Amino acid sequence: MTSPLVSIRGLEKRFDLSGSFLEQLRFEGGRLRRKQEAVHAINGVNLEVQKGEALCVVGESGCGKSTVARTVMGLLSPSAGEIHYGGQRIDNLEGKAALPYRRKMQMIFQNPYASLNPRMTIQQTLEEPIRFHHPDWSPVQVRDKIHEVMHSVGIDPDWGSRFGHEFSGGQRQRIAIARALAVDPEFIVADEPISALDVSIQAQVLNLLMDAQESRGLTYLFITHDLAVVEHFGTRVAVMYLGRVCELADTKTLFAMPRHPYTQALLSAIPKLEDDRPNHIRLQGEVPTPVNLPSGCVFHGRCPYANERCRQEVPQLIATDGGAQVACHAVEEGRL
Amino acid sequence: MALLEVKNLDVRFAVRGGDLTALRRISFSLDKGERLGLVGESGAGKSVAAFSILNLIAKPGYIAGGQILFEGKDLAAMSERELRKIRGNRIAMIFQDPMMTLNPVLTIGTQMVEAILAHRKISKKEARAIALDRLQKVQIPSPEKRLDQYPHELSGGMRQRVIIAIALLLDPEIIIADEPTTALDVTIQAEIMDLLLNLCEQENVALMLITHDLGVVSQVTQRMLVMYSGRIIEQGPTREIINDARHPYTQGLINALPQMGEPGARLFQIPGSMPSLKNVPSGCPFHPRCNFATDQCKRAMPEYVRSGNVDVACYEVANLIEQEKRMQEAES
Repeated sequence: MTSPLVSIRGLEKRFDLSGSFLEQLRFEGGRLRRKQEAVHAINGVNLEVQKGEALCVVGESGCGKSTVARTVMGLLSPSAGEIHYGGQRIDNLEGKAALPYRRKMQMIFQNPYASLNPRMTIQQTLEEPIRFHHPDWSPVQVRDKIHEVMHSVGIDPDWGSRFGHEFSGGQRQRIAIARALAVDPEFIVADEPISALDVSIQAQVLNLLMDAQESRGLTYLFITHDLAVVEHFGTRVAVMYLGRVCELADTKTLFAMPRHPYTQALLSAIPKLEDDRPNHIRLQGEVPTPVNLPSGCVFHGRCPYANERCRQEVPQLIATDGGAQVACHAVEEGRL
Repeated sequence: MALLEVKNLDVRFAVRGGDLTALRRISFSLDKGERLGLVGESGAGKSVAAFSILNLIAKPGYIAGGQILFEGKDLAAMSERELRKIRGNRIAMIFQDPMMTLNPVLTIGTQMVEAILAHRKISKKEARAIALDRLQKVQIPSPEKRLDQYPHELSGGMRQRVIIAIALLLDPEIIIADEPTTALDVTIQAEIMDLLLNLCEQENVALMLITHDLGVVSQVTQRMLVMYSGRIIEQGPTREIINDARHPYTQGLINALPQMGEPGARLFQIPGSMPSLKNVPSGCPFHPRCNFATDQCKRAMPEYVRSGNVDVACYEVANLIEQEKRMQEAES
C-alpha cells in the first residue's frame, strides 16, 4: 500500500472543564482537595486517509467526529498523538512552517449561514484566501481564479458584488465550497456539509462535491451522521462511539456486513423507504457522558453481547476475515 | 364524517407591501386513529399548516379563508376561549425542539400537573397520578424520580419522551407532531418514532406528522400530503406515493435521496430551489424547476386529478391520464 496522505496516530483530545487552580479546589471530608474534570472527546484514534479517497467518519452527537476534523485541520491542538500530512508531522508546526499545509488542507463547515462573513461580498470572501496564499499574484490572476471557482460550483461570477445574505442556503454552501477550492487544495475536511440543507439541495451539493473530487483529484475526510450519504459517497467508513473508532471498513463491506454491535444498531435505525414497519435493533439506555468514560469497551453499557471482559479491557481494532477492522471482544472471540 | 376536515384553507402574512400567501386552498381530512404525513422542504408551508389548525399562527399571519372542521365545528371561527378548551385537550401538539417546549424553571411534574388542571377539575394528587401513568406509558426509566426533575437534567431523547407524555395527558383525539425527531440522533429518532407509532395505535389517536424525512413518513404514516410553496401538490396513500410518485416534484424528492442512487454515481437533482413567498411563480409554482413544464403550467395552477387513489395537481399527469383513457377507448 502506498503511504497515506494524512495519518492520524494515537489522537487524544480532552477539554478541561475544571477551570483555574482555585476553582479546582474542593472541600471534602475536612480537607482541601484538587479536583480536575475533563471531557474526553477523542480517546486514541488511529486513521489513515489514502490519496483520492473519501473517508467518512460517522457517529452520533458527542462521539468526537467533529473534534477529529478540527484537530486534523489544526483548529484544535491534540492532547496527545500526532497528525502527519504526506509523511510530515504537522500538529506541532507553527507560523510560517504551517502555511503550505494550510493551503493544501481546506475545510467546509456545516452551517453556511455562520461560515460566511456577513459583511464581506462574495468577491471579497473568495479573494481573501487567494491573496493570502499567493501574495505575488496580479489582480487579473486573482480575478480569473475567482471566476473559475465560482463557475465550477455553479454560481454566476457576475454575483460577486452580492453579500452572503442574498443567497439561499444551498447557494451559500456552494460559495463556502468555492472558498475552499480557491487555493487549489489537495485535501478537504467537510464537517457535516449537507446536514443543514433541504433534501433536493443536499443532492445538488453532494453532486458538486463528487464532481470536484473527480476533476481536481481531491481527497476527503467527510464527517456526517447520515449513513445514507455515507453509503453513497464514501470509499471507506470509520464508525465512532464516545471518542473511539469501533469499526473501520470499506463502504460496501460495512453496509453489507456490519460487525460491531453499535454499527449494526446504527444501520438498522435508518428510516428506509421500503420498510412498512420500523424494524430496528433497540439499544438500552443512552450515550454515557464523555466526562466519566466507562471502563473497558465504551459501548459495554448498551451492548447486548457485553460480558466481564468487555467491562474491563479496552478492545483494539482488529482485522477480521471480511476485511473490516472491528474493535469488539465479541467479534474477536467469535461470539458474534 | 372525518374527525378533522380542512377545507380550502388560506393563510396569509400581512407584511409591508401587501399580503404574502403562505397557504393556498389547502384541503385534506384526517380520520379517527389515522396517521397522516405532511412532507415538504423548508418554506413549503407544512409548519404553518400544522399551526393554523389550532389557530396558533402568530401575527402578522392570519387565516384568510376556508374552514377547519373538528367534529363538525369550525376551529377557524372559534373564539380564543373556546379554542383553549380544545388545544392540548382534544388536539395536542408536539414541537421540534424539546428544550424550547419545556419550561426550564419548573419541574417536569409541575408542568404536567398544570396542563391537567387547566382542563380537569381534579385534585393535584390525582393529576400527579395521571402524569405518572403517562410517563410510564412513554417508557421513561424511574418515572417517579423524573416528576421532580428539571428539563436540563434529562437527555434530548428523554425530554422528547416527556413531551409525548404531556401530549397524551388528556387523552387527545389528535396529536400534531411538527418534526418531532429532527433534533435527535438516528438511534434515538428510531426509538421515539416507534414509541409514537405504538402509542397512537394503542390509544387510537390520530397523528398528523410533519417532517422533511421521507423515510420516516414511509414507515409511520398511512396517508401523506406533499406540499410545495404553500400548496398541496399530491396526496394519497403513503405506500402508493412512495412506490409510484406522480408529481414531478415528489418524484424528484424521492430520487434525490442518496439511498435511491447507485453508490458513487451522481444523484438525481432538482435544479434551483424553493421560491420565496415574495415571488411565487405564476401558475404551477414548481414550473421553473420542472422538466415537463409547458406554457399551460405558467398560466394557471392545475386542478387536482385522480390517478389510482392519489390526487395530483399537475397538467403533465392529467395529460397522461387523458392519453391512457383515449388509448383504452380506441382499443375497445
